[in-house]
Amino acid sequence: MISGLVQLFLWQGLGELLSKFILPGIPGPVLGLLLLLGFLAFKGQVDTDLAAVADGFRQHLGLLFVPASVGVLLFLPELQTHALAVGTALLVSVVLTIAVTAIVLKVFWYFSLKRNKGTAMQREQRHE
Amino acid sequence: MSKRLPISDIWVYLSGDPLFALIITLATYQLGYLLYVRANRHPLVNPVAISVILTCITIDVLDMPYEKYFEGAQFVHFLLGTATVALAVPIYTGFKRMQGKILHIWVALTAGSTVSIVSAVAIAKLMGASDNIVGSMYTKSVTTPIAMGIAERLNVSPTLTAVFTVITGMLGAILAPYILNTIKVQQWWIRGTAIGVGAHGLGITRAFSVNEEAGIYASMAMGLNGVISAIALPVVLSYLRPHLGF
Repeated sequence: MISGLVQLFLWQGLGELLSKFILPGIPGPVLGLLLLLGFLAFKGQVDTDLAAVADGFRQHLGLLFVPASVGVLLFLPELQTHALAVGTALLVSVVLTIAVTAIVLKVFWYFSLKRNKGTAMQREQRHE
Repeated sequence: MSKRLPISDIWVYLSGDPLFALIITLATYQLGYLLYVRANRHPLVNPVAISVILTCITIDVLDMPYEKYFEGAQFVHFLLGTATVALAVPIYTGFKRMQGKILHIWVALTAGSTVSIVSAVAIAKLMGASDNIVGSMYTKSVTTPIAMGIAERLNVSPTLTAVFTVITGMLGAILAPYILNTIKVQQWWIRGTAIGVGAHGLGITRAFSVNEEAGIYASMAMGLNGVISAIALPVVLSYLRPHLGF
């Protein structure tokens, strides 16, 4: 577990340095993520220690944003005044996001299926 | 004669210590998580929401200022960056499985994410929400750790961003099966990807509990969406902001 954490901290540190000196527009952790992704692609596998730590983070990602979310106390009056707007915006937005993403993928999938069928049929015709 | 009650001495000592904020944060989350598991991982019993509400009540009752609480809780907050880096693992695992779908997924992510931002911002603005709220709608569709990193750079409230993201995750995880059934999508990888873009971490948990392939695609989609947005959003906004006037 420790080796997984050490790896993550090192990549995060590298990302922060990059963000500070070379690419100030992108947050350090995101650069760290990209560096680690490149490293994993280079190595061709994820070692078990890193996988275990990453899995733990994924499962309890929510815990990490509790401290910031508690700050909602400071915004309560503002949120109450605009509750309807916030609720509608979030609800409609999430429904559209899921629907649009799924529909785009479905359309692509449908066309690639059709194309595959087409080439398969051509091949069959040639065989005949 | 100023003889203090020993109990208040203990209290003064405890409340000045970062440990106290850490204990509330972790204990309430643990309680929320237990309830969540008990409720068969129903998305309405969200451990994060439970933890946030209980922590808010606790520090409100104790009259503890938020800044004071955050001084202790920042150790948990700090790990957001590390958790972001860790997203590289599910993205990599997802990439390995995709084979030839990369372009499709990329286009779908961009479309989904654009619709998510535009619809949320437009509705909030049209319904007269304050600038603070509209600003945080830009970032809410990205997974929280990355969203908060972007929020700080865009000068919008990381707190509202986090809260909106949590609510989005709850709504998405509850509604996703109905939405996907309505538009008749059966393929697990498509269902997973859509949930990962729309419902973040909570959606992923839900996806994993239904089907492993859906879970892997959801994790990959969430991470990838975060990366694309982190790079694209500040650039796009720096062009749009002067025109939108906020």
